Amino acid sequence: MEASRWATGRNVLMFAALASILLCVVGYINTPERFFQSYLVAFAFVAATGLGAFFFVMVQFLTGSAWSVTVRRIMENIMFTLPFGALLFIPIAFGLKHIYPWMDPAVIAENPAIKAKTGFLSHDAFILRAYIYFAVWSLWIFSIYRQSTKQDTEKSKQQMYVASRWSAPGLFLAVVVGTLAAYDWLMSLEPTWYSTIFGLYILSGGALTFFSIVTLVALGFRRAGVLKHAITKEHYHDLGKWLFAMTAFYTYIAFSQYLLIWYANIPEETQWYRHRVVGSWFPIAIAMPFIRFIIPFFTLLCRPAKRSLNVIGLIAVWSIVVEIVDLYWIVMPVYYKNGPQLHWLDFATLAATVSICGLIFWSRFKKHKMVPVGDLRFEQSLYFENA
Amino acid sequence: MPLDPSQIRDKLGIGDDKVYAAIGEFSDPHDLVHAGRKIREMGYTKLDAMTPFPVHGIDDAIGIPYSKLGWIVIPIGLCGTATALLLIWYCGAISDKFVIGGKPFFDFTFSIPITFELTVLFSAFASVIGMFALNGLPRLYHPSMNYQAAHRASDDRFLLVIEADDPKFHPQTAVEHLKSVGASTVEVVEG
Repeated sequence: MEASRWATGRNVLMFAALASILLCVVGYINTPERFFQSYLVAFAFVAATGLGAFFFVMVQFLTGSAWSVTVRRIMENIMFTLPFGALLFIPIAFGLKHIYPWMDPAVIAENPAIKAKTGFLSHDAFILRAYIYFAVWSLWIFSIYRQSTKQDTEKSKQQMYVASRWSAPGLFLAVVVGTLAAYDWLMSLEPTWYSTIFGLYILSGGALTFFSIVTLVALGFRRAGVLKHAITKEHYHDLGKWLFAMTAFYTYIAFSQYLLIWYANIPEETQWYRHRVVGSWFPIAIAMPFIRFIIPFFTLLCRPAKRSLNVIGLIAVWSIVVEIVDLYWIVMPVYYKNGPQLHWLDFATLAATVSICGLIFWSRFKKHKMVPVGDLRFEQSLYFENA
Repeated sequence: MPLDPSQIRDKLGIGDDKVYAAIGEFSDPHDLVHAGRKIREMGYTKLDAMTPFPVHGIDDAIGIPYSKLGWIVIPIGLCGTATALLLIWYCGAISDKFVIGGKPFFDFTFSIPITFELTVLFSAFASVIGMFALNGLPRLYHPSMNYQAAHRASDDRFLLVIEADDPKFHPQTAVEHLKSVGASTVEVVEG
């Protein structure tokens, strides 16, 4: 990519970041409560995407896949934004009492079930755990990223082996620590409710947005004439398969959670869905199977659709939008019982977290090569074809 | 009534006066793909290739269309969906109405796992049986086996076939055309 083009991208992102941060500050001064509530959705969106990237970059290393080599640097650069989530977490750390009901002594006093959990759900333990999560992720992400970029110049298989060795325990950690993070940040919004699969619910949604963003970045590059020959129709076909697979996987997880809770019909489990089907939350709840499964699944079902750049671009945008709706539907009913109340801060906070992560993502393209040219499968990736 | 050898040959479609194809031999998969593309550009439409492993790009080069299997699988898969839903609905809400655990007689929520399983089961059967129906396997005889080095197509040779059904086919010109695109050995095969 030419330096001028890169600089334009950086300036746009920088402007978006500054403008949205300014708006967030204004919002925080006016309605601090609303700012923190909106910010949680925005933070969860980038964190889940980063986690999805973290998991699937390691999958590329462990499976030794050749198709993904030319798009892997885009994937790695998305993954690289996750450690900086520790900075984005700071507003949450300061806004705990506006966000989480278990911070309210009155709520704890009248509910023995929450009282029994105060050892886990307390201010200090919550912050400490969050920084442990980020420390673990950062250690793994920086190690793997370092190997991958080192390979650009060293061009030896040694880096590939080291990256794989990090990746095997990393997959386990990504899911276990990611699940704990989802419990902390999103499930504890309803401190008397629990669902074991909730972590995977968030992670599978994040993985879908991750593949959507990879697709959109690659399509954007293509439009600008960058990496046009490195990322071919065959790569888009494979990205389309991943969008399709993650749509099905998300549905599987989301439906599993719903089915078991519906069947058991125990009040302490059903309360979560109860809060999300009352008032004008109901249309969103009832639309979920359609917007998150039926529309993207049947659109991507046949092979020509997965090979059409327009179709997968459209589905990628769609998946990102419905993921945001999903997170909004998970978080906001805690505060607004009767239905969604859109606020300009919802958009401003999202713009802020996304543009900050975007800046980190973009800066990597200047620092390192845009494709891992040192990978031994690079050549194979350039010319592969789907059977 | 026992058949005589000529009747058996006729039934199997291996009358010895019938020309099956002209077959050219290549020792490199890339040469095969290039040759296939050139032969197709000459106007031949009924082409085939025999290779020891799947060669990428050969389908496109010799104009073999993408498999129609998906169009067999989807209606049968949807039949599986319908079977499961109808069965659950009929058993639970029409035939034997029992209240179990306070649940409705019929509901999509509890029907989905079975519906999913039956859709997958029907689709899997449709894929396997449809695949055999479309590719005509298993079979004991194929005229290409009469090629003198047919066994090497499962080892280290790549065969390009111009079938005799091709409207443009003429034994002599087909052999010349195959030689002109770089086939090391060319043979007209009967069977």
